[in-house]
Amino acid sequence: MSVSGVCADPVVRDQWYALAAVDEIGADVSTRLLGLPIGYGLGPGGAARAWRADDGAPIPARVSYGYLWASVGEPPAEVFDVPETREPDRRIFNAGTLGLAVSAPRAVENFLDIAHFPYVHRGLLGDEPHTEVADYDVVDRDGEIWALGCRFHQPRAAAASTEEVVAQYQYRVPHPYCAMLYKSAPGHPDRLDAMGIFTHPLDDERIRAHLFLCLLDDVNTDATIRRFQQTILAQDMPILENQHPKRLPLDPRAETPVRCDKTAIAYRRWLSSLGVTYGVIPAGAG
Amino acid sequence: MITLYDYELSVNCYKQRLMMAILGVEYTSVPVDFYPGWEHKSAEFAKINPLGHIPVIDDDGFMLRDAHAILVYLASRYDPSRLWYPVDDPCRLGETAQWMLFAEGTTNTASSARLHDNLGYDFDIDAVRAGAHKLFRVMDEHLWFREREGLDWVVSGAHPTIADIALFPDVALSEEGGISRLDYPALRRWTDRVRRIPGFVTMPGVIALGESPWD
Amino acid sequence: MSPGDGGPGPASDPRHRWHPIAAVDDLVFRHVYHGKLLGRELAVWRADDGFVNVWENRCLHRGVRLSIGASDGRELVCAYHGWRYANRTAGCTYIPAHPADAPARTICNRTFVAVERYGLVWSAEDPEGEAPPEAAELAGAETLVLRNLPVNAGAGLVIDGLAGYDPESLAAVARRTGDAAALQLGDGTAIVFFVQPVDSDRSVIRPVMTPAPPAADRIGVLRRHSAALEALRKNLEEEAARRPPAEPMTPALEQVPIHLAELPEPSPRGRQAPLRVRVARKWDTAADVAAFELESIAGQLPTFQPGAHIDVHLANGLVRQYSLTNGPGQLDRYRIGVKLEPESRGGSAAMHHTVREGDVLAVSEPRNNFPLRRNAERTVLIAGGIGITPLLAMAQALHHSNLGFELHCFARSPDHLAFGETLDRLGDSVTAHLGLSPADTAAAIARALEGRSPSDRVYGCGPAPMLAAVRELAEAAGWPAETVHFEYFANPTEIDDSSSFEVALARSALTLAVPAGRTVLEVLRDNGVDVASSCEVGACGTCSVGVIEGEPDHQDVYLTSAERAEGARMMACVSRSLGPRLILDL
Ligand code: FES
Ligand SMILES: [Fe+2]
Repeated sequence: MSVSGVCADPVVRDQWYALAAVDEIGADVSTRLLGLPIGYGLGPGGAARAWRADDGAPIPARVSYGYLWASVGEPPAEVFDVPETREPDRRIFNAGTLGLAVSAPRAVENFLDIAHFPYVHRGLLGDEPHTEVADYDVVDRDGEIWALGCRFHQPRAAAASTEEVVAQYQYRVPHPYCAMLYKSAPGHPDRLDAMGIFTHPLDDERIRAHLFLCLLDDVNTDATIRRFQQTILAQDMPILENQHPKRLPLDPRAETPVRCDKTAIAYRRWLSSLGVTYGVIPAGAG
Repeated sequence: MITLYDYELSVNCYKQRLMMAILGVEYTSVPVDFYPGWEHKSAEFAKINPLGHIPVIDDDGFMLRDAHAILVYLASRYDPSRLWYPVDDPCRLGETAQWMLFAEGTTNTASSARLHDNLGYDFDIDAVRAGAHKLFRVMDEHLWFREREGLDWVVSGAHPTIADIALFPDVALSEEGGISRLDYPALRRWTDRVRRIPGFVTMPGVIALGESPWD
Repeated sequence: MSPGDGGPGPASDPRHRWHPIAAVDDLVFRHVYHGKLLGRELAVWRADDGFVNVWENRCLHRGVRLSIGASDGRELVCAYHGWRYANRTAGCTYIPAHPADAPARTICNRTFVAVERYGLVWSAEDPEGEAPPEAAELAGAETLVLRNLPVNAGAGLVIDGLAGYDPESLAAVARRTGDAAALQLGDGTAIVFFVQPVDSDRSVIRPVMTPAPPAADRIGVLRRHSAALEALRKNLEEEAARRPPAEPMTPALEQVPIHLAELPEPSPRGRQAPLRVRVARKWDTAADVAAFELESIAGQLPTFQPGAHIDVHLANGLVRQYSLTNGPGQLDRYRIGVKLEPESRGGSAAMHHTVREGDVLAVSEPRNNFPLRRNAERTVLIAGGIGITPLLAMAQALHHSNLGFELHCFARSPDHLAFGETLDRLGDSVTAHLGLSPADTAAAIARALEGRSPSDRVYGCGPAPMLAAVRELAEAAGWPAETVHFEYFANPTEIDDSSSFEVALARSALTLAVPAGRTVLEVLRDNGVDVASSCEVGACGTCSVGVIEGEPDHQDVYLTSAERAEGARMMACVSRSLGPRLILDL
């Protein structure tokens, strides 16, 4: 078992983390958050509760976007805003939660990556030989990273037509350990489906990843959508668990980026500039 | 037509999908919302399997549960060569039964570790991992000696059997349960051979071998 | 040190010593073996040419284990983004996310040495000596590798334990040395137990026995020792569990070169020929076409991509470009084909008449101005005469990756078809068009260009009139210009260098005068501005420079007409200015 140390990094410690989808919580649960043993559950009336396992002292807890969030530090007043959740015609639910032996930043970086679609999600999100990643823009919006104008050839729809079908993507990183993705929504030409990865870091090399959905889809059942998303996440699992080192190296000379990795480069620089040291190998730390 | 009560991420359901793909048997998959719906534990599903687990098949009204039993049925019914379940050769049949029982062990250790790590099942993780390593050592030695005799599969003879199909998913996904195969080179080579069986299909988490011409 | 010399034992740094990392039998066809030595993980694979690759088990791109990737016999493909790495060099040959780019040559995984001895594969991080030392006990007679056994115990403990190994009470005499224990058994056999230090608390016992027992007894012998070693392992692991846990080894990961840490920038370089190769073989592959195989004199030949060429510097001072015809992963030799040109200025004549097997030539590193995209559903390759050379490399790469392609070879007669033995291996994808008239050639090209779908691509190489025909016919058949790619091996245009003008270099803040009779490239070089070049006749594209302002007088055959009209790039070797001044991005 991994017995990594408790997090001493204030940037990471003072954040909210989604521990579980509220409708999946039954009896009280024991777990760890950033290396610290904790418990959580729902009190009377569905109120979120979380506590340290050692002395039972309560820690900050709340419900947002259908998840129970908690913090082992001093978190901001609110979880980062996802404005799409206020649009009444969207369906909001957890597609699934899977445990992964990897650091949260490696999982977030994978979520921001397009180039692996034809290899890891062959036949679903991409297919050889349509492997090219067209240029896109990475911008800083109010201290968050956004990747705009990403396009990628998607095979599933292409089966019905001879012309290539190109999906539009946008990415947003509002939290060091969480990311959002906006993708063209079938049947809604002017709006985008939103989904997110919210990680629950058990420690710096093990997480539970929640796939958050906020969709315009009015055709498929929850179960169908969940199945698709769980498949995608499970396909990423052997890749993520075979990355070495497990913590994300922030030294620019640790790995080799190419043009399609612009979002990842921006994300690594952003973590460095925030001063994040947990779940990463800071630049200069060897 | 066969109906398979199925969950994409279940190793035991994958065993059936793999066997049917290799045998070229058509089937319909009825997805069971295993997680997070726990549909296999529902009162509704109890009518299909009172034990509350998957896979279950319904072959034109003939219902069968339990992964390894279904493999026996599929091979006996749909493999005209009679090699996947070698009923004509008592020694190979006995060996097949032996390794099918062994596969119960790999499922209860390696695949339990995976359920613990992925879905948070309550197992003694150190114990199940140690149990898997013990079995993998046995399997690695067995397959190493098989290679010395020029044989490729767990059961003797030139052809794979349902025992290979029963064991493969537990082994191929072991790393999701924190069980490395670094120490088992013969086991790793065997997973390559299984992945080259004509008709082979993957499941999420099982990486296909690259395709390349065999020149 | 080896058991053979009774050396001083494990005092020296283990990273300098040779260790076994696998059995030779472990490296089966197209398998990627997962190894570990001194805490460092290794991906070990034997290429189809027999070469054993020992690489750091980590893709340089995003750190994914290469042992979960796939070997196609010549290259290893990473499971995450499909980057391909070449046999021998571990140089990256293809980045699928950017199919139009030639990857920087220096993207190269870390490699380690490999030597096969006693049925084991040996490696070392930073070895002293060329090969693992001899083990005296194993000299002479035939040896047999016994079953290896991984043990959850450190190497020192394991070697101590092995010294007492005598399952059959054969009065074994043991000798313990640094990394092994050698036993002389009473029945005349000897076993050397090499112990591979996997990590501080893990090892693999790799026993080798001599003389090898007769074939009929072998399985029995192997089983007896396997069982006895397992009993020993049980004791060793119990003992190890009683000891305080050792800190795991943490081998340092190398940093990537600084220029790879940022997004790639083009780095201009002059016409250089850093490599020295020997002509290993020269033969006539077709009428008037000599083929050459060039092998490195020192060190490994650098990675190339299909479509790449090298500059060959000849003794008479001429520099000529020849495309590599090699298939993927063939890095033991470069293979080129040289057509004897009747009006040769001396280049092809020298290659044909003067260069002999055994000669040494100075050549550049491979450069690729004709990159092959592998994201097409179908690739049409059209070769005229000696223009087959780059397309042959492409065809083999496509064939090997199971990508759809057609190779159309136009030649005067069967005798004029070069590299027939390689073409034969490409099977039905090759069509030879022999002895056609210009009109029939055009008709055949038109047929080859039928039935386009959006992702298809055309690559043409051959004489200028034929390429002009391909260009016209492709346009007529609705192929967008950017889907049709050409490589000219000469520029048929008569270069007009009578103009004089000024070039301003935006980044160097220099303004230079280019007089009539001198090229931009020459003037730049005279003023210390280094621009890479190769053919210097406007055909190969190496000296392409960005134009920020002004209207270039192109005169090259490398750019497409759309690119020429856009005027954003020009060839420094032949292009000039239509106006009085050009601003270049240099
Ligand atoms: S990590 Fe290997 S190709 Fe990206
Ligand atoms: Fe993914």
